[in-house]
Amino acid sequence: MAATITGGAAKVATDAVAAATGTGNAAGVSAVSGASQVAHTGLALVMDGIEYFITVPMVYLSVAFLLVAIAAKLVRSFRAGPPPFQLALYPVPRHPLIASLRDTFGMPQILKIEPLFWFFLVMYHVGFLLLILGHLDILSGINLVPPESRHMLGAGAVGVMVTLPTFYFLGRRFRDANRVISTPGDYLLLLLLLFLFLFGDLMSWGNSWTASGFVMTKADFARYFDGLASFSFADPRTVLHGAHYHFVVIHVLLANLLFITLPFTKVVHAFFSLPLNLVRRQPWKES
Amino acid sequence: MEGILSPAESAALKELFEKKLNGVMRMYLDTCARCGICVESCHVYASMPEVKYTAVGRAEVVRKIFRRYFRMQGRFAPWLGEVLEFDEATLNAVYDAAFSCTGCRRCMVHCPFGIDTQQVMAIAKALLIGADREPKVLSMLADMSIAKGEGIEETRADYAQALKNLEGEVKAIWPVPEGTSAIPYEAKEADVLYVALAGSHSIVSAAAIMNAAGEKWTLSSFEAVNFATFVGDSGKAKRVAQRIIDEATRLGVKEVAVVECGTAFRYLRHMIGPQKFRVVAFVELIDRYIREDRIRLDKSRLPESVTYHDPCQIARNSGIMEEPRRILRAISDRFVELRPNREENWCCGGGGGLVAMGELDFRMKSSRVKADQLKASGAQIVTTACENCHSQLSDLNEHYGLGMRVEFLSHLVAKALVLPGERFRR
Amino acid sequence: MADYETKKTLDYKGLKCPMPIVKISQELPKVGIGDIVEVLTTDPGSLSDFPAWAKTTGNQVVETRQEPGLIKIYVKRLK
Repeated sequence: MAATITGGAAKVATDAVAAATGTGNAAGVSAVSGASQVAHTGLALVMDGIEYFITVPMVYLSVAFLLVAIAAKLVRSFRAGPPPFQLALYPVPRHPLIASLRDTFGMPQILKIEPLFWFFLVMYHVGFLLLILGHLDILSGINLVPPESRHMLGAGAVGVMVTLPTFYFLGRRFRDANRVISTPGDYLLLLLLLFLFLFGDLMSWGNSWTASGFVMTKADFARYFDGLASFSFADPRTVLHGAHYHFVVIHVLLANLLFITLPFTKVVHAFFSLPLNLVRRQPWKES
Repeated sequence: MEGILSPAESAALKELFEKKLNGVMRMYLDTCARCGICVESCHVYASMPEVKYTAVGRAEVVRKIFRRYFRMQGRFAPWLGEVLEFDEATLNAVYDAAFSCTGCRRCMVHCPFGIDTQQVMAIAKALLIGADREPKVLSMLADMSIAKGEGIEETRADYAQALKNLEGEVKAIWPVPEGTSAIPYEAKEADVLYVALAGSHSIVSAAAIMNAAGEKWTLSSFEAVNFATFVGDSGKAKRVAQRIIDEATRLGVKEVAVVECGTAFRYLRHMIGPQKFRVVAFVELIDRYIREDRIRLDKSRLPESVTYHDPCQIARNSGIMEEPRRILRAISDRFVELRPNREENWCCGGGGGLVAMGELDFRMKSSRVKADQLKASGAQIVTTACENCHSQLSDLNEHYGLGMRVEFLSHLVAKALVLPGERFRR
Repeated sequence: MADYETKKTLDYKGLKCPMPIVKISQELPKVGIGDIVEVLTTDPGSLSDFPAWAKTTGNQVVETRQEPGLIKIYVKRLK
């Protein structure tokens, strides 16, 4: 275990680094900067406070906001009453519910009209689901991937599954009619996702595909997530060491921003696609 | 600043907008991902590729107003969704969106979420009525229909006389026994109330077919078409339809058969709620007569190749697709399909009130793709089951020099009717 | 037969829906107030449509005449 501690590190910190890096990172950590372990004053203290806010209270606030805002939106839309008359299209499929599920999850219209776009959409949406699963897997209670593994779920491939399509979606927005129909919000949302994914990739690709790995491992993140899950309000800085910590903070910040803005964006299609497809496929009872 | 509406005017428009925000509409406005899959769906865009002539281009005009007045970003970050305020330019864009859309809903077939552009345009139309900018010819026609309902007793005798004068034309196709009426009117024992249009062409063939089938039917005093739906005035649309509902209820008929008119049929079939009678399209009735062997048709009278244009409101928006094809196969050996067809068929380009509004230049330019599709079929005759489509197809035929004949399905059927004892080819 | 002069005869025979009403609303303003135009049509519905239209637009159908195959409607411009 080679850990170069620069500056006057306190014994507690050294122990923590050893504990954190020693558990999972088989390849070892070549260098851990302990600069942040220096007794903080002035701006550094402010920075610590901001980073703590982002990684703990803001996560709770964003997730709570997301859930409440989405629930409010769903309630408001479903309570606003039915349309004045039925809006189904014909011919009516034999099983409207199955057809709606097919429309929602299979997107046959897009497959027919723009197969490449469909390919990236499927890759992206499957990737996104795996991404959620991969993050849940970090919790020490769920271990689809062994806790001591240096890999996250998918060993970096899940990151590719969402990052590559996001580049494609962004490029596609600049093309032909899509450029005219796109609003600044459409570009910003894709950029937010892109940077969020790239910072995530930094961690997962680092651990899975580079010799030295990312500084922090699945086991390290597990401590942070367990802390969040148990509402310990502990500063993740005590379990996530090194200067690379700031990349984690940026990743968490972007995720928080996504959670907060999501209810106001077209991402609500995740909730409305199935009900709207049912409106299209299921006629009201014959009058 | 010039063109800005007063706060009171804006507030009034906002209120009209809000009235349209049912649950599904809210989802339509929030869900669009601007994926662009609908871009190629619109016949207008396919004929004259400008983004304002796409489903998403049109709906975005309404969404940008929605974001401005009903979403937080309208207050805090209006640039995010390029919101629109109520002003001169916005209302012009609203008009262009609403009345370049025929309400055919072909885009809804292709949208991954099934967003109904015609519904979104219903907001646009409501705003235009509120701003007193709706096409006046459409309101005038709707008002005429309502006044007709109120004053029908004053003109009933004249109308009845006109029907008597028309009976000869019906009898020339299918004779009726002495003493019976070839165009029953106000018949108390009728099973079917046939709702036609003003023109005799919408009465004569249909009457002959129903007489041939031995149907107990009676003719409505009113025209089926509902111009209030084109203008987007749901209150007036109800009053126009109510005339027919009241008449059908008073006469106690089992069925209301709607003339070959798309908007009339969809409105009466799907938008008036449960009634004591069923609503059928006249082509459904013909199909039933053929299947029940109540009428016999001679194939030899139609030697030309013939194709069928699916009217949007009858086919993809109401589900009548196979009936007209069965009918055509009963009168022709040379039926060819248009490509695409059924729910994928291109709109004729005359819907949404455009034919009534005139707009010949726009209608012809925006339907080039329809003309190309007709030409590619190689058919000599194009049939349809909608008055509006018939008018537009006739204009296209002339404008693009297609050299086809445009026919109502019912007219071809009437010409193929086989009299008792007559020799015919099945 | 009433004794009045018609300024114009408009032939709307065989037109499709809703052209007779659309056309009269365009043509009537072209004659003077108080003038009468004669409309020729074959549409039975016109016998109710024209009076209803005249009522909503503030004009007047002064007379209708019928014979098999032809309907004549006399419309007076009042405003």
